[in-house]
Amino acid sequence: MDRDKERRKRLASLPFSEKLKILEKLRERSRVIAASGLRKMAIRQQKRNG
Amino acid sequence: MKATLEMINRMQADGVIGKYAIGGAVGATFYLEPLATADVDIFVMLPLAPGGSLLSVAPLYEYLTARGCRVEGERIVVGDWPVQFLPPHDALEQEALAQAVETEVEGIRTWVLSAEHLIAIALETGRAKDYARIVHFLEEDAVDADRLNRVLMRHGLVPKWEQFERKYLEE
Repeated sequence: MDRDKERRKRLASLPFSEKLKILEKLRERSRVIAASGLRKMAIRQQKRNG
Repeated sequence: MKATLEMINRMQADGVIGKYAIGGAVGATFYLEPLATADVDIFVMLPLAPGGSLLSVAPLYEYLTARGCRVEGERIVVGDWPVQFLPPHDALEQEALAQAVETEVEGIRTWVLSAEHLIAIALETGRAKDYARIVHFLEEDAVDADRLNRVLMRHGLVPKWEQFERKYLEE
């Protein structure tokens, strides 16, 4: 818990430009996860439809 | 984000928009740890028409699409980021814009709403994610309580704040 709080504090104290770069990475990761989820759904659908 | 802000600043220099400031999760990231989000909220003042009535956001969209930006629903992709341009719809948002904090992103001048205005707007908007963001600000002690109280009082948000406190902070 304390370690998590410390990590959040450290991240919060970064310059805004640095934090925005992290945001961009988070956004990219979410996009990749969403795309892979959609791919898996399409494969499942294809298998179901034979 | 640099390309996004450069384009918005150019649009401002060309007189298409007036003052602007970053709000939402990206604005909150100025004060807190980075908060994952898919888009950027930009509060923006539109120049007054000669008759004194507010202009629509149409010229802004025309300006950006003419420069290769594409519209995605309510947003327009500027640089790498989908952006939602939000003209202030009440006195709170007008004040938030007027009192925005100047900063720089990779050498690009820009403005961010104050922590207290971000909280007041989140309270006013009132979705679950807005309340979660307010809790985040309070947990991180990233807000000036006196300044927040004054903003809440000026804009008639004290009853809503008390309701929020009872529901989310008194447990």
